[in-house]
Amino acid sequence: MEKILTKKSFPAWVKKLQSYTVYAPEKQENLWSYEVIQNPDKLNLEHLNTVQAPKKITFPQREVFLQFNTSKEGKPQIKEVLPKEQPTVIFGVRPCDAKAITLTDKVFGEEPKDPYYWSRRNQTTLVGLTCNTPPSDNCFCLSVGGSPHAKEGLDILMTDMDDKYHLDSLSKKGEKLIKAAENLFKPVSPKEKKELEKIHRESEKKIKREVKDIKNIPDKLKNMFNSPFWDEEAMSCIRCGICTYLCPTCYCFDITDELTSTLPLNGKRVRTWDTCQFPDFTMHSSGHNPRPDKASRLRQRILHKFQYHVENYQDYLCTGCGRCISLCPMGIDIIEILNKVRDHE
Amino acid sequence: MNENIYIPKLAKIIKIKEEVSGSRSIKTFRTQFVEKNGFSHQCGQSAMLSVLGKGESMISISSSPLEKDFLQFSILKMGRVTSALHETEVGEIIGIRGPYGNNFPIENWKGKNLIFIGGGIGLAPIWSVLQTALKKKDDYGKLTLIYGARTSKDLVFKEELEKLNKKMKVHLSVDVEEKDWKEYVGFVPQNVTDKKPSPDNSISITCGPPIMIKFVIKALEELGFKDEQIYTTVENKMKCGIGKCGRCNIGKHYVCKDGPVYSWAKLKTLPQEY
Repeated sequence: MEKILTKKSFPAWVKKLQSYTVYAPEKQENLWSYEVIQNPDKLNLEHLNTVQAPKKITFPQREVFLQFNTSKEGKPQIKEVLPKEQPTVIFGVRPCDAKAITLTDKVFGEEPKDPYYWSRRNQTTLVGLTCNTPPSDNCFCLSVGGSPHAKEGLDILMTDMDDKYHLDSLSKKGEKLIKAAENLFKPVSPKEKKELEKIHRESEKKIKREVKDIKNIPDKLKNMFNSPFWDEEAMSCIRCGICTYLCPTCYCFDITDELTSTLPLNGKRVRTWDTCQFPDFTMHSSGHNPRPDKASRLRQRILHKFQYHVENYQDYLCTGCGRCISLCPMGIDIIEILNKVRDHE
Repeated sequence: MNENIYIPKLAKIIKIKEEVSGSRSIKTFRTQFVEKNGFSHQCGQSAMLSVLGKGESMISISSSPLEKDFLQFSILKMGRVTSALHETEVGEIIGIRGPYGNNFPIENWKGKNLIFIGGGIGLAPIWSVLQTALKKKDDYGKLTLIYGARTSKDLVFKEELEKLNKKMKVHLSVDVEEKDWKEYVGFVPQNVTDKKPSPDNSISITCGPPIMIKFVIKALEELGFKDEQIYTTVENKMKCGIGKCGRCNIGKHYVCKDGPVYSWAKLKTLPQEY
């Protein structure tokens, strides 16, 4: 279902979605961030790429798994804590970030399913926005099978057409959102359809960066496990973990216990994001570490994304958003690394 | 939604036995589920043990699946959770979830000689197979155990090993010479080379520190064992147990779900990063 919505009517539509928690990008000082929108009149979809992907909403950085407490007799009790059922809609999702959510869907959807992830994910509607111009200098979605107007994972794709938006509703969740304020939407004229196609065509031409011959990369990597290449590439890494924490596709996590009181023993078991870039990620309690240095950990990041995940799920664990490049304090560039892999003897 | 995989089931500790004392202390725990919601396991599988407030730790189940009354875990005191487990007493409640991972293909080993090779606490993960093979002795050929530790004090299951001597060939070793030690002195791989188990119609099952496993495999290869005749069980740091948290991988494999049991034929195709 395709529709036209004037920009002037956009806040009126969002106001009709009272039963949802609405997230959209908000400019905070100089950074864009997904925040809960209190005043739809202030909605602004002219954002560049947000620093954190909307992953933080479907897979929060910290969440409670269970609560435990002990009775007077010292008997422990465990109570499952599932997220509250709250319909949520996220506006302004870039196609690369939507695709990233489909990748985590596969990991957390594989049996046995992850109940925490799905109780949030099932309640979430993703409204995307075509990148008429690339939101980052390091966008390379075309290289990894995406595009600035890709629909995968989205419930609605919106495209900015000057004083109006074109909306492509792609699922029942998307239709439900449009039905909440049906009279605000108009049918798409043939002229508008042509204009849309032009915007989409041109959006692709504006992507400057590229990973060459990406199809050969997984096989190439298989033979490079023991190469000194990784030592060279990891030399400048300062082990901050930004590349993984801000990656929309990285999903590795830790499970730890937090105490709220010691006598009686009460507390929570929580899940938090974790990163393969920290030594402790794989270090055994004996001190033995299968990935003891920066080189083996950088190798793990690249191989997980471009070899292991391809072998397990037939897809790259990367959507070309460019965050790990733009935000790395040391300028480590995954595109450059992959292009060097391609040329590696 | 099915059962929440992250919620442990409560289990009572019914027996604790100190195997090794001192700084590298090892205790064997027997547990029973508080409610009738437990699970049955297969040889080689592990379970995630919880000490509430401390966290979780993946421990191999050392009791045989034929033992229905309890689950047994032999645990080296090492990190936060295992240290907390060592402080528990009989009657205390812990959490258990699982079982996790694949298992030793013991059904395919019927009629074959089984050679168990363990180092230190590495005897625990293969103990469930050894006990199962002993209980169904007629199904298998000759059973042999080659087992060693740093010192005689560091050997686990000392009582059981003495009784075992009557049922199967047991070759013990310690790393360095000590008073009154009558058996082999040297590392486990050297003892394998010394005892020369025959590869004919045999399967070898080995577990121990990563460095020991590597050299045991080398020793077995020199004795003529084929890759398909060598089995080992791998250990890595784990959190979820179901191939999602991302840390226990060896290449595309997650040890928690695709392992921990590997034939050398399979393991050697993966990146050597464990």
